[in-house]
Amino acid sequence: MTGFTGIKRIFLFLLAGLFLAATPLAADDSELDIILAQLKAAAAQVQTLQSSFVQEKNLEMFDHRLISTGAMIYAEPDQLRWELLSPVASGFALRGEQGVRWSAVSGQVQRFSIGSDPLMGVVAQQLLAWARVDLEWLEQGYGMEVIDNEPIVLRLTPLDTAEAELVNYIQVTFAPLQGHVSDVLVMEQSGDSTRLRFEDVRINDRVAAGAFVPPEY
Amino acid sequence: MRFFSRCYTYLQERRGWLVLLLLVLLLVSFWNLTRVDIEDNISSMLPDGDSRVARDFQLLQQAPFARKVVIHLRADNEEQAVLLNSATEELHERLPEPWFVNPISGPSRVNPQRLMSDLLEVLPLLFDAGDLEQLERRLDDEGISAALAENLSELLQPQGLFVKERISRDPLSLYLVALDKLQHLNPLPDVRIEGDHFSSSDGLSRLILADTPVAITDAAGAEQLLAAFEQARRVLPPDISAALISGHAYTLANADVIKTDMQVLLLVSGGGLLLLFVLMIGRLRAVPVLLLPFFSMITALLVVSLFADQVSGITIGFGAVVLGITIDFALHVYFALARRSLDRSEMLRLVARPVLFGGLTTLAAFSVLALSDLPGQRQLGLFAGAGIVAAVLLALLVLPHFIPRAAAVPGARLNGKRALMVRFPRLRYVVILLWIVLCGTSLVYLPQLSLSGELRQLGYLPDQLQQAEAELGRVWGDVRGRAMIFIGDNDMDRLLRQNEQVWQALGDRHLQEEAVSLAPLLMSERTSRERIARWQEFWQHHQPPTTERLRDIGAGYGFSARAFTPFADGLDRIPPPIDLRMLNEWGMGGLVDTLFQEHEDGYRMITLLPDRPEEITWLLQDGVLPEEATLVSQSLFADQLAQEIAADFYRFMGLAGVVVVVLLGVLFRRVTDVLLALLPALTGLLVLLGGMALLGLELNLFNLIASLLIIGLGVDYGIFMVCHGHSKEDLSSVRAVLVSGLSTLIGFGALTLAQHPALFSIGLTLLLGISAAMPTAILVIPALRRQLS
Repeated sequence: MTGFTGIKRIFLFLLAGLFLAATPLAADDSELDIILAQLKAAAAQVQTLQSSFVQEKNLEMFDHRLISTGAMIYAEPDQLRWELLSPVASGFALRGEQGVRWSAVSGQVQRFSIGSDPLMGVVAQQLLAWARVDLEWLEQGYGMEVIDNEPIVLRLTPLDTAEAELVNYIQVTFAPLQGHVSDVLVMEQSGDSTRLRFEDVRINDRVAAGAFVPPEY
Repeated sequence: MRFFSRCYTYLQERRGWLVLLLLVLLLVSFWNLTRVDIEDNISSMLPDGDSRVARDFQLLQQAPFARKVVIHLRADNEEQAVLLNSATEELHERLPEPWFVNPISGPSRVNPQRLMSDLLEVLPLLFDAGDLEQLERRLDDEGISAALAENLSELLQPQGLFVKERISRDPLSLYLVALDKLQHLNPLPDVRIEGDHFSSSDGLSRLILADTPVAITDAAGAEQLLAAFEQARRVLPPDISAALISGHAYTLANADVIKTDMQVLLLVSGGGLLLLFVLMIGRLRAVPVLLLPFFSMITALLVVSLFADQVSGITIGFGAVVLGITIDFALHVYFALARRSLDRSEMLRLVARPVLFGGLTTLAAFSVLALSDLPGQRQLGLFAGAGIVAAVLLALLVLPHFIPRAAAVPGARLNGKRALMVRFPRLRYVVILLWIVLCGTSLVYLPQLSLSGELRQLGYLPDQLQQAEAELGRVWGDVRGRAMIFIGDNDMDRLLRQNEQVWQALGDRHLQEEAVSLAPLLMSERTSRERIARWQEFWQHHQPPTTERLRDIGAGYGFSARAFTPFADGLDRIPPPIDLRMLNEWGMGGLVDTLFQEHEDGYRMITLLPDRPEEITWLLQDGVLPEEATLVSQSLFADQLAQEIAADFYRFMGLAGVVVVVLLGVLFRRVTDVLLALLPALTGLLVLLGGMALLGLELNLFNLIASLLIIGLGVDYGIFMVCHGHSKEDLSSVRAVLVSGLSTLIGFGALTLAQHPALFSIGLTLLLGISAAMPTAILVIPALRRQLS
């Protein structure tokens, strides 16, 4: 497995967590199997999903924590938009196998397909694959353990050695009352980390027209 | 010529021996047929030897894709395109061995992080002087700020986890220059990669490349290969098409169309000839005349098989056509002897002279083929020569004993040399006038005749295959039609230096962007040293300010002071040499193999470039390319072959002409007779060439051989008619020339019904030539002769 598949699994799990928000968790639903079963059941009910997020990166290359904000939109069966809004506007949108990405820095909008871009394509494709809830695949890639029950915290450890050279673990925290994912932490082997906090998660709300159209520069 | 009449008298009472001789010949020939190895491909019609054309042809076979089977998959629309990758994989899986070997539908799998790390290591080798100049312009505050902003943007994206190391080692994105150099290895100009497969820029096409053990010229193997492909293709969904593009498809199409043509031609010409013989001879006893070409042919095959390990199928096929003309000798003997009241041995003595000299001149015309660069033409020369000798001997020694005496030759009124011109004295003026008009018109159009060396035009090119190839070119760029520059040496470093000179020459003409070469990646030791020294000198000047800018401007984006330390540390590192092993590790092995070949005598490198006449002409100028380089292009090759054809044409015509004139001089010993005897051949050639120009046709290899037939037949007609004029006896020459001319027109004229261009071309050539030569012999020679006398 290459490093590219690592990030896709991270995002798969992230999205899985968001789907889980559709079905409030019971306080004693701490068993892994039950949680995963709920994930699948919850995903089946999701037609659209929208959320904003705050991303915090602690990287050795930087003197201070990098904070950025963004938003994501999913619409079944195969549309996705993932975008950073500040400090640098950039992101990608995908429809089926074809996608487009943009960056305000370069002022460029580029088309890509899931087969042609070694990174973006695979990530986006697998995000969508998760939308169809392929739990077997996720379990093949990660060891899972329940860290805490109140709130529920799951830790995923990569099984693939190449991915494990980069990623130490991924930790997903669910909101205690609302039952949706509130926090994802990606810990790298280098000590760098990325934390995503999801806010304003909306399930099956109407998606605005043009939600999957890239901005113009 | 008394020899033949004496032989006739001697053998008259010994016919049993002749029958035995023919039976032995028949038996030996059948035995020979069981052991002769007939070559079922067209390679014998391609040049060999040391000529430039022969060498270029061999080199053209080394072109990437020239020996590959290319399968082009295409989706009807974007909706269906999503199925392309899986369809490609399924078809790839189902291509069976041994017909398809090592099929690939995409590049080798590469570890991108390993590739990126290696590229950063060897940057000093990949940056040439121009690249450093461009880099220098990006090292100001603005350039560095833009690079760092882009880095920050990437790091914040999901893929940031994987680009951190690259950014810390290469914050200025110098790796893009390395990727640009790698692009020069790509022979598919518009290729993208979709899910590990070669994809067209519009996303609607995929490509599978495979080797095959089937020779391109092997029709039987091609049939099995294509059948295997058809079977495999059934796995594809209905909206995805797949076309196989390779020389095999053309070979099979040609073999099929020739088979169909032969069935039609045998029917038409056989029926036509039968009708002609019924109308003009009308007797069963003339059957021995029809058998003479058959015996000539089996004798010719016997002789050729004694000299050659393999006999070309084309030699036999075309040779059989050529030997069809030997029936003329039999006809002349038949018409002369098949009369009741005359002394046969005397008549044989009289007719032996024109038949013998007719045979000798035809033999002379075809013997010049022995000088050809094409092995098939040389073999054809031997085949025709042996057959003609056999035919003349059979016609004069054997045939007379199998012609029963007739009450009278039907249609004797056609023997109208004396009667016609005497009865209509002014007819000769009409004949001469028409002849002058015909020759004058042909002369007017003659300068417009052009030559074609395009080998493909000699073969049958089905519309479907042409469309498939055009579609391949439209979608993927000109994959198969590029010019190539070959260099070879047994010393690798010397080879690399020559390759660099070639690359430099292309740069002088701004052709590097369109060229495919190893030169940007594989370099000589001298160039490696120069580049490392230049890189180090560059950074000696620019490292301090650049490092300072990265630190200061980077701070503005939040980068730490140590963020780009790996970059600064790597600038003075000595890079490892780039070699073939490294390129293989980068997943470029398949591409390298198309551009680099190792053989017994050393190494060879190929550079691909656009095949545009203006560029080729420029590159061929003295001093532009190194002396060791050989430029080969399809268009140039066609021109060279056209020049060879022209040279062969003039050489063959000249030599055949000299020999024929000498023979005619020996025969007639009068200039006027020699000129008259040459008239049908010259008129036939003139009308042939002028007619082709008028019809907008180009002269090709097959026309050249057919032209020799015109000379052979035309001179025969001339000899017979001139001899006829001298003879007090009626040799029935007009009738014989008329029947032989008509039989040739029917036999060869039927070829104009052929779909195959080569057969059509031969048919048209002979139709034009004989249509002019025969009337010239029958009408113009008597008219001029009377005028001269």
